[in-house]
Amino acid sequence: MIELRSLCRTYRMGSEDVHALNNVTLNIKKGEHIAVVGPSGSGKSTLLNILGCLDRPTSGSYRFSGKEVGDLGEVELSGLRQRWIGFVFQFFHLLPRLDAVGNVEVPMLFAGVEKEQRRQRSRRALEAVGLGHRLRHKPEELSGGERQRVAIARSVVMGPRLLLADEPTGNLDRHSAEEIMDLIEQMNAEGLTLIVVTHDPAIAKRAGRIIRLEDGRVIEGGVDLQPES
Amino acid sequence: MPAAMDRFVFALSALIGHRLRTALSALGVAIGVAAVILLTSLGEGTRDYVVSQFTQFGTDLLAVNPGKVKTFGMPGMLGGTTHKLTIDDAEALRQIPGIKSLVPMAIGQARVEGGGKGRSVFIYGVGHQAPETWQFPVGQGRFLPPTDPRRKGATAVLGPKLSRELFGEAPALGRRVRIAGTGLLVVGVMEPKGQLLGFDLDDSAYVPVATAMDLFNVDELHEIDVLVEHADLIPDVVEGIRALLIERHRGEEDFTITTQAEMLDTFGRILGIITVSVSGIAAVSLLVGAMGILTIMWISVTERTREIGLLRSLGVTPGGISRLFLTESVVVALIGGLAGIAFGLGVAAIAKFVVPTMPLKTPSAAVVIALGMSLVVGVTSGWLPARRAARLDPIEALREE
Amino acid sequence: MRTIDLIRFAIGALVGHRLRTILSVAGVAVGIAAVVALTALGEGARRYVTGEFEALGANILIVIPGRVETTGAMPFGGVTHDLTLDDVRAMKTRIRHALRIAPLAMGTETVRYGGLSRSLPVIGTTSEFQEVRRVTMGAGRFLPEGDMDQGGSQVVLGIKAAEELFGSGNPLGRIVRIGEWRFRVIGVMAPRGRGLGFDFDDLVIIPVRTNLAMFNKTTLFRVFVEIDGADAMRISEQELEDLMEARHRVKDVTVIAQDAVVESFSSILGAMTLALAGIASVSLAVAGIGIMNVMLVSVSERRTEIGLLRALGAGKGQILTVFLAEAVMLSGFGGLLGLGMGLAAVAVFIEIYPAFPAAPPLWAIASAIGMSLGVGAIFGVWPARDAVKLDPVQALARR
Repeated sequence: MIELRSLCRTYRMGSEDVHALNNVTLNIKKGEHIAVVGPSGSGKSTLLNILGCLDRPTSGSYRFSGKEVGDLGEVELSGLRQRWIGFVFQFFHLLPRLDAVGNVEVPMLFAGVEKEQRRQRSRRALEAVGLGHRLRHKPEELSGGERQRVAIARSVVMGPRLLLADEPTGNLDRHSAEEIMDLIEQMNAEGLTLIVVTHDPAIAKRAGRIIRLEDGRVIEGGVDLQPES
Repeated sequence: MPAAMDRFVFALSALIGHRLRTALSALGVAIGVAAVILLTSLGEGTRDYVVSQFTQFGTDLLAVNPGKVKTFGMPGMLGGTTHKLTIDDAEALRQIPGIKSLVPMAIGQARVEGGGKGRSVFIYGVGHQAPETWQFPVGQGRFLPPTDPRRKGATAVLGPKLSRELFGEAPALGRRVRIAGTGLLVVGVMEPKGQLLGFDLDDSAYVPVATAMDLFNVDELHEIDVLVEHADLIPDVVEGIRALLIERHRGEEDFTITTQAEMLDTFGRILGIITVSVSGIAAVSLLVGAMGILTIMWISVTERTREIGLLRSLGVTPGGISRLFLTESVVVALIGGLAGIAFGLGVAAIAKFVVPTMPLKTPSAAVVIALGMSLVVGVTSGWLPARRAARLDPIEALREE
Repeated sequence: MRTIDLIRFAIGALVGHRLRTILSVAGVAVGIAAVVALTALGEGARRYVTGEFEALGANILIVIPGRVETTGAMPFGGVTHDLTLDDVRAMKTRIRHALRIAPLAMGTETVRYGGLSRSLPVIGTTSEFQEVRRVTMGAGRFLPEGDMDQGGSQVVLGIKAAEELFGSGNPLGRIVRIGEWRFRVIGVMAPRGRGLGFDFDDLVIIPVRTNLAMFNKTTLFRVFVEIDGADAMRISEQELEDLMEARHRVKDVTVIAQDAVVESFSSILGAMTLALAGIASVSLAVAGIGIMNVMLVSVSERRTEIGLLRALGAGKGQILTVFLAEAVMLSGFGGLLGLGMGLAAVAVFIEIYPAFPAAPPLWAIASAIGMSLGVGAIFGVWPARDAVKLDPVQALARR
C-alpha cells in the first residue's frame, strides 16, 4: 500500500542543509503493524508526517495505494488525509472547548457530513472505544487514557485505511498504555494498517515489523521481501 | 534612578518581542490622533480665514443698523421703521468723542451703463470717508469729494472689475456712466480688494449716499459704519451712539449697534463648537483604540502568567508587576500618539503645499491635547490588565503549563 | 464544509475567549453606532430644511427685485425699478399657468397693545398667501379675499406675537397699534416655527396696500407665483422674466424656482452628512485594526489546533475560511450591536426634539451593515492567511 523510493526531505537551517530524511526506500503492505524506532533526531517524526501527507518530500517518490503523492495538489492531499489516513498524537490534541462527541465530529465537519449523521457516527465510534458513558465530557474531565481513546475514535471515525500513531503512549501510565495499544492493535486485526512511531522498546516489540531509522536513513527493516498477503 | 530605567527597558523588551502586535495597537491610536489633529487644523484654519476676511476692514469698526433684529451678519436689512436712520443721524454722530471717521450707507442694485456696455451690480451709496473707514484705498484718481452728504453729487467711483467690464483696459477716469437714467462722472477706480463673503467688492460702484437714496427711492440709510480711534474706546463710543440716537428717535431704541469684535466673537464661538464636536467624533476612535490596547494587554497577561510568577518569586511586588504592565500600555499609546501627531502634521503640510488656499492651521494646543489624550488612553487601557497581573497568585502562575 | 457548521465552529472559537470577543465586537459597535447616529442627524437636518421648503408648496416661482451679475450674491435692498402691485396684476393676466400669486411687502415696526409693545417684522400680503404658504390658522381667519389695492386695517398675528402682547387673553377683535396706525386682529396663526429666515410665530401680517403706505414704499419685497404643474415651471419662469423685462425695460428681476433652491440645500447637507459619516468611519478603521491584532494573536495561540485540523483533513482553504469567518462574525455582531445602539440613540433624540425628523437613511443602514462585514473581511484576511501558512508539522510536534 505504501512505497517510498529514494525519498529525501531536506530543510534549510541558516546556511546549512539538514537532511531529515536521506534516501529512504521502504514499503509497507496493507494490514501490517509497523513500529518505527530510532534515536532522537533520526527523522521518525518527519517520516510520519510525510507518510501522513502533512509534508512533501524534497525529492523521491511516495506512492500511496498506487497514487504518486508528489503529483497531488493541495486539495487532493487534504482529501487523502480526510478519508484514508488517521492520526494519533502523543499529546492527544483534543479541542478543549468541545466535549467527546464534539471532538470526534471535527473531521466530519470539514468533510461536509450533515449533523445527524455526524452525531451517530461519533457516538458509535466512542462506544467502540469504550467511552459510551463519557460522551458529554470535556477533555479536562477525562483521564489521560480516556482522552487518547477519544483521539483514537476521532482518527478512525472517517473509516481510514492507515493509522499513524506518534508516541501514542508517551503521555500515559503503564496501565492506560496497555489499554491503548490493545485498542489499536484490535483495529489493526480488523484490517487497519498501523504505523507506530515510538522510542519505547516494549511498544516496538508488539509490532509485526520494526523499521529502524538513524540520521535520516533506514538502517533496518525497510523493505519487506515477503509478498503482499 | 537606574532601577527605574531597567524596569523601563524590561517593559520595552516585551513590546519589541511582539513587534507586530505593538505596532498594530499603536497604529490604532495613531489613526485616531491623526484624525483629531487634521480636523482641528481644518477648523482653526477656517476660523483664521474668516477672521482675516473680516479684519481686512480693520478691527475697530462698528455698524449701526435700523431695526432691533440682531441676526448674524445682516442686522435689520429688511428696513422700514417709522423712525428712520438718516444722514442727519450720521452727521450728528460725529460729535461723539473717540470717533475717527464714519460712513453712511445706502445699498442697492442697478444696471450701470458706460462705454457702450451695461452691467447689473451692487451700488454702494457712501460718504466720502469710506476709504479710511474700511481701509479700502483708491487705485486711480480720487474717492468721492468731501461735500455735504445731504447733497446729491453726480460723481461715481468704480470697482476695478466693473471698470474693466465697461471700459476694458482704457482708463475710466473722466468718463461718464449712467445708473438708472442718472448720469455720473467717474472720478476714481478702487484698488482690487476681492470678495467679502460672496460680495464682489471689485464688481461694484460707489456713489454719494444721497444720490443712491434718490436712485432707489429709499428715505433712510441701511447702515452707518463707524471707525473708532482705538479699541479701548469702543464701549464708550457704543454708549454715546446709543444715547444720542435714542434721543433723536424720541426715546425709541429702534436701531442695532454691532461691533466687529462681537461679530467675530460669535462666529469664532460657533466655529469653535463645530470644530470641537467634529474632532470629538474623531476622538471616539481613540476610545476604540483604547479598547484594542486593553484586549491585547489582557491577552498578554494570560500569555505571560509563568513569567509573572517567576518575577514574583524573584521578589517583585504586585505593585511592581502592575507598574510594568501599565508602563507597557502607556508606551504603546504614546508611540501611537506621537506617530499620529507626526502623520497629522505631515498630511496637513503636504495638503497646504498641494493646495495653498486650503485652510489648515494646527494650533499647538491641539498637539498638546493629543499627547495628553494618548497618555489617558494608555493609562485607562492598561489599568485593568495591570491589576489582573498584580493579583495573580505566584504559585498558581508557576504551576501553569 | 457546510456553512452552518462553519458558523458554529467559528462561534465556538469566539465564545472560548469571551473578553477579547466582547472588546472587539464593542469596538466595531461604537464605530457603527457613531455612523448611524450621525447620518441620522444629518438626514434629519436635510429633511427639516427641505421640508421647510416643501411647506411652501410645490411648483412655486419666487420673483425677487434686483439682479446682480456677480455670482453668488442674492439680490436684496434698494432697486431702481420697483416691483409693484401693477406688475403683480400683469402677472395675473399674462402668466398662463399661474394658479395663485401672492405679493409680499416687508417692514419692521413697534406693535403695541395695552401697555406692552414689541418691535416686530410686519408683512404685507393678500389672502392668496394663505394657500401659497400653506398657513394654518389657530384662531379666527387669515386676510380676507378681495382686491389687493384695497388696503384694509385687519391684522393676523403669529402665535408668539399674540402671546407676548395678549398673554392668555383672546386677541380676536381687539385693536392693536402698529406704529401710528390702528388694526383689528382677525386671526392668530397656528404655531409654525422658522421658515426661510422668518420666524412665523413672531411677526404680524397686514394687507399689502396698507403695508406699502405705512412704510412709504412702492416696491414689493417678493412675489410668490404658484404654478399649476411641474411641467409648466420652466415656461412660466421664462414668461415671468420676459414680462418683467418688457415692463421695466431692463432685466432687473430675478426669478427663482423654489425646487432649485431645495436641490442645492439638499445636496449641501447631503455632502455634509457624508463627511460626518466619513469621520465616524475612522473609528471603524481603528476597530478593524483591533480585530486584526486580536486575530493574529489568536492564530499564533492556536498553532496546534490549526496543525491538528490539517491533520484531520482540513484543507488550507478551509482553515482560511474558518479564521476569516471568525473575523467577519466579530465585526458582523459588532455591526448589529452598533446598529441597535445607533438607532436607540436616534430614538432618544427624537424624544427630546420631536420637531427634528432625525432618521438614518436606508443607504446609511445598508452601508453600515456592509461596512461592518467588510471590516471583518478586510482586516481578517491577513491573519487568516497567516493561519494557513503555519507548518502543521512543527505545530504538532509541540504540546
